[in-house]
Amino acid sequence: MEQGISTFTPAMIVAWTLVAVSFFALAILAYVAIRSRTRRVDLEKSAQAFRSLDIAAFRNLVDADEESFLRNNLPPTKFREIKRQRAWAALLYAWEAGGAATALARIGQAAQQSSDPKIAASGAELAENAFRLRLQTVGAGLHLLTEILVPDLQRRSLPPVVDQYERAADTLFRLGRFSSGAPQLAGSKRA
Amino acid sequence: MLSISWPTLLVWISPHVLLGVLAVILCKRRLYRECPYFFAFVLYEIAEFILLFVLRSVPSVTGEQYAYAYYATLLLSIVLCFGVIDEVSRDLFREFQFLKVAARRSLQCVTGLLLVIGVLLAVYAPGDNSVRWIAGVSVVNRGAAMVQCGLLLSLLLFSRFLGLSWRRRAFGITLGLGILTSVDLAIRAVRTEFNSDLWVSYLNLLATGTYLVCVSIWIGYLLAPEAKPEVIAVVPDDDEVETWNREFQHLLRQ
Repeated sequence: MEQGISTFTPAMIVAWTLVAVSFFALAILAYVAIRSRTRRVDLEKSAQAFRSLDIAAFRNLVDADEESFLRNNLPPTKFREIKRQRAWAALLYAWEAGGAATALARIGQAAQQSSDPKIAASGAELAENAFRLRLQTVGAGLHLLTEILVPDLQRRSLPPVVDQYERAADTLFRLGRFSSGAPQLAGSKRA
Repeated sequence: MLSISWPTLLVWISPHVLLGVLAVILCKRRLYRECPYFFAFVLYEIAEFILLFVLRSVPSVTGEQYAYAYYATLLLSIVLCFGVIDEVSRDLFREFQFLKVAARRSLQCVTGLLLVIGVLLAVYAPGDNSVRWIAGVSVVNRGAAMVQCGLLLSLLLFSRFLGLSWRRRAFGITLGLGILTSVDLAIRAVRTEFNSDLWVSYLNLLATGTYLVCVSIWIGYLLAPEAKPEVIAVVPDDDEVETWNREFQHLLRQ
């Protein structure tokens, strides 16, 4: 031990770093285990989170025509400042859309357990669309982050995210319609 | 061979007795059909323990022979552990074709990244064990523990990020294996640097204690029934959703 302390080699630093990593991993495992016991699908809350997103505002923020208008009519410094602000706002929307997509995925998986085959099929479709949307928000977030850092880059619009959002909304609408006659939906039967 | 104290012997034996109980549960509930790799892993761990216990009890077996057997069985255990990880990931993504492709691609990227880190660590921090082959196997074990731990954490975080639901059994297996590999990673890392008898005995105690906890987790999750379908009384209002959806589509088509 004394020898270990006196010769604090890079290998030893690696060893203790790995120990720290493993403690961090254990903390994450404990967190996930505890959260999995308390998590429940709150359909109303999830639907509200979905409804609260202003897709029109998001679309305006990422509109390529709007951007070229600003580029042509504003001095470069002002344009960069405005573009950063718009990209930041759009990034926050993408973040929220990602959260809403996770909620939608939970609704979809809960509906998938329904004994009604129509609701189950719609649930599966909703969940799959929500997963796609969730993953696309990551790509969109990275894209927007690049725009914040390098505002002079020419922007391409972000239609896949918007389209995915629309598809998820459409599936949610159908899911609501199918289940309107039933008093309740079957929920998730998983951990 | 070497004599072992009774408390150490008890700590060494008890997780494997529980593994026997786990194997019986897997057989009785026919879960070996759903998780064949995990079942094989459990059986292998029991067989490995019996072999090592016998070798340790036979006076004519030398320490070097025992070490050979220990490290050889450990390498196969690592391979089976990767099989179990593959099994739980398949179970997690089983219902969604899109995720099967996207998630597996992401996991392959994570595996590649972790392997590169493992190789770099093996090159730059190979440990200081005087016996060359033991040092080599220890570094391989440490790298494998890191990749396994990283993969299991990625699975848990990825499912949480997407809102993906686990089946209780698969979650329990992942959780137990995650704890096992995390502690294993720490033990392997410390062992490459500190290999005095005192350190080794402490680390062995920690390893077997953790193993006991993890086997208990597996048994707990396998015995627990799947949660009953959660009744959701509040359904989104049809008109409200329709209005919202119509407006949404209208705005998108402008």
